[in-house]
Amino acid sequence: MDMRVSVDLELKDTPGQLLLALEPISRYGGNVISIIHLREEEKLRSGRVPVHFTIDVPDEASLERIINELEEQGVRVTKLGEVTKKERITLLMIGHVVDTDLRDTIDRINELEGVMVSDLSLAMPHPDKESSAIVDIEVSQGVDRRRVMERIYSIAKEKNLEIVRSLEV
Amino acid sequence: MRVQIIGFGVIGQGLAEVLLRKREELKQRYSLEVKVVSITDISGTAYAEEGLDLEKALSVARQTRAIVNYPGAKEMTGIEAIEEIDADLVIEATPSNIKTGEPGLSHMLAGFKAGKHVVTSNKGPLALKYKELVTEAARNNVEFRFEASVGGAMPVINLARETLSGDKITAIEGILNGTTNYILSRMTREGLSFEQVLKEAQELGYAETDPTYDIEGIDTASKLVILANAIMGIDATFSDVKTRGITRITPEAIRLAKERGYVIKLIGEVRNNHLEVSPRLIPETHPLNVDGALNVAMLHCDVAGEITVVGKGAGAIETQSAILSDIIAIWKKRGAGQ
Ligand SMILES: NC(=O)c1ccc[n+]([C@@H]2O[C@H](COP(=O)([O-])OP(=O)(O)OC[C@H]3O[C@@H](n4cnc5c(N)ncnc54)[C@H](OP(=O)(O)O)[C@@H]3O)[C@@H](O)[C@H]2O)c1
Repeated sequence: MDMRVSVDLELKDTPGQLLLALEPISRYGGNVISIIHLREEEKLRSGRVPVHFTIDVPDEASLERIINELEEQGVRVTKLGEVTKKERITLLMIGHVVDTDLRDTIDRINELEGVMVSDLSLAMPHPDKESSAIVDIEVSQGVDRRRVMERIYSIAKEKNLEIVRSLEV
Repeated sequence: MRVQIIGFGVIGQGLAEVLLRKREELKQRYSLEVKVVSITDISGTAYAEEGLDLEKALSVARQTRAIVNYPGAKEMTGIEAIEEIDADLVIEATPSNIKTGEPGLSHMLAGFKAGKHVVTSNKGPLALKYKELVTEAARNNVEFRFEASVGGAMPVINLARETLSGDKITAIEGILNGTTNYILSRMTREGLSFEQVLKEAQELGYAETDPTYDIEGIDTASKLVILANAIMGIDATFSDVKTRGITRITPEAIRLAKERGYVIKLIGEVRNNHLEVSPRLIPETHPLNVDGALNVAMLHCDVAGEITVVGKGAGAIETQSAILSDIIAIWKKRGAGQ
């Protein structure tokens, strides 16, 4: 599984420096997600140009190789941090969503590590009728989505809710 | 080619009609002359060594609803017809039964035993005893094809097994039941309740008087089992499918989904040896978002990537596209009397 990292570099202000930095990233299986080049704004006193990269790397070892190589080439690595990737699960709940204690439903989903209900819209046609909620759940990288769904289905069974999940989950 | 039709309802009669219509074309394009030597329904069997008059058979069936009224017909059962009448191929088109697979299961097995190829639109026996049927056909060195059993006119089994024969299919998702797709599409467009639309569909003849098979996902599950076996080589049967239907879908749920750019569809999915039928959220822009009574299947292929086919999932005439393609494939492979 890929890890996503943010890397702040300082490049020499000469042509070809960006390419020089990109080369080891791709050689060790990294994938550049974004590059923010702060050229105009703040050229450093050292004459270097700060660049902010977000990259996906296959694992810790390849990240280490990339950093070593960059430094060998005279690129300064000033900051390194892991970015946790978030995936989203969207699903509908149909049933007595409110009467079966919506607060409790959300709490029990949030209880799972790296899992958080981030958005919820509710439709209540009539107090006696079944209501519906569409829910967004943020799931951190590395969390097994199937386990999240298992938890949701067990809550749903207990509260007699129908779950309609999106295709890719 | 000498053909026997067992089950002369919507599909059996549709075949007779298309065979009449395409008689010359089949001769010219494939040198194929299809002689229907017997037709059996619950009332008995019409039989003619030199081939039945299909126009007469159709008019008898339509007027009297019993083929036994065809001149010279006998009170002979399907099994007897298969065992006693000389033919190359059996078309099995009796009602699908997902509890016992009968009478189709016995008809198919009798066909194999008699050394006859079998083409069927009947999903029940396949969903229950896929492996046994395929094994028996092979043991008797006959062809067994069933494109029409999944998705009516929509070509999916032959597409995956023949055209995509260099690919490995790693997952399949699809809408395999036209009735539920019609109901959900209408609920979405008109904001009507499930009960209202179901009633309307029954009045229009789109849904059966007993709609359980469709709305509870049973029909979709049967077809999914056939796809899992035939395309992905998974030894699954009907009881392996986790099945939920669409009876609890409400107009409000559909509206909430729509506000987020989703539609709700009853999807059959095979992935990682897991077979599931359930209502799912599909992005509006996704290829599986097809409307009305259409069927759709998306094949995830290891070389081709995603391949999606859309087509009419039922229909007296449309389904004959699948049945004809099976008959022609057997003809090309085996020729007459082999
Ligand atoms: N309709 C479609 O668009 C469609 C599409 C794809 C697949 N299929 C499948 O194709 C098959 C046939 O469907 P259909 O719509 O044609 O059904 P149908 O209209 O009900 O016709 C079934 C026929 O089978 C006969 N039959 C029943 N039991 C029999 C027995 N024991 N021996 C001989 N004949 C028997 C019936 O006779 P009686 O009428 O005298 O009872 C009738 O002629 C089903 O398995 C269905 O799931 C249908």
